[in-house]
Amino acid sequence: MDFSIRAANVEDCKDITRMIMELAEYEKMSDHVKISQKDLEQDGFSKNPFFHGIIAEVPEQHKTKEGHTKVGYALYFYAYSSIKGRTIYMEDLYVMPEFRGKGIGKALMSKVAQLGLAAACAQLNFTVLDWNKSSRDFYFSQGCFNVTSDQGYHCMRCEGEALEHLAQP
Amino acid sequence: MANFILRKAESKDVSDILRLIKELAKFEEMEEQVILTEKDLLEDGFGDHPFYHCLVAEVPKEHQSSEGYTVIAFAMYYFTYDPWIGKLLYLEDFYVMQDFRGFGIGSQILKVLSETAVKTRCSSMHFIVAENNKCSIEFYKRRGAADLSYEEGWRLFAIDKEDLLKMTTK
Repeated sequence: MDFSIRAANVEDCKDITRMIMELAEYEKMSDHVKISQKDLEQDGFSKNPFFHGIIAEVPEQHKTKEGHTKVGYALYFYAYSSIKGRTIYMEDLYVMPEFRGKGIGKALMSKVAQLGLAAACAQLNFTVLDWNKSSRDFYFSQGCFNVTSDQGYHCMRCEGEALEHLAQP
Repeated sequence: MANFILRKAESKDVSDILRLIKELAKFEEMEEQVILTEKDLLEDGFGDHPFYHCLVAEVPKEHQSSEGYTVIAFAMYYFTYDPWIGKLLYLEDFYVMQDFRGFGIGSQILKVLSETAVKTRCSSMHFIVAENNKCSIEFYKRRGAADLSYEEGWRLFAIDKEDLLKMTTK
């Protein structure tokens, strides 16, 4: 199937928001989504963006029954490792279920890898849920390794009240 | 020794920052993996588009370390994004030299970082900890941190340069 991969622009935020919700539902975490289309527009497409996006698009004749031609996306940003220097972090990677198995996910991830290498990044990082076996198998096949199980690193978070409390004098 | 100041790192601090990065890496048994140089740190942290920000803790000369250092702790952080909740502050490194622990320097650093997170409208502060580092995990949990790997099943994955290159040519 024919598809194209390109940098996201502000007009894509409506579809990105839609697909973020779809990915959250897949990860059984829809109630965690607090962000709006307006937040994405502001945070991703103003002077100092907090993230960048890539969109996978199919031609009109392959659009979904709801009429969508934007069928996959990746969100990434630049990060830093005190050991290796510049890194690229892939925050989201998603392809709508009916468009899977056609190389779109791989093409999106390859684009993130290319952008990372172009910016002199030494590593690409991302997280995966432990029950998501099909995604983990895909990533292993691309040469990724599981930092949590191999090196024992756990992802930690401090938010909401705990964060405010920590900020108290 | 309660006297210390916390300040934003400046370009002149890169030598101390690299020294502290290597000390922390040694503690995590990863010292030989540090390939960063002072030049990288200078370019990446103090150029037009910084990849990271840094806080350092400094003590007066009379309290310098046995090797003569006055910069005795640091935190390296940057801003990231979660498409569900928005901006986050990511704490990449956080280290206080052994002889200077127990004086509240670590707590003060975390406090300033949290203030920064709240002021810049971040929903959360994220970081990783090695599971065998029990005393750090307890330090963070006492301050309300949650272990996402344990509680929600998130696993951190990485792909190194060699495999990134392979991926772009497939």
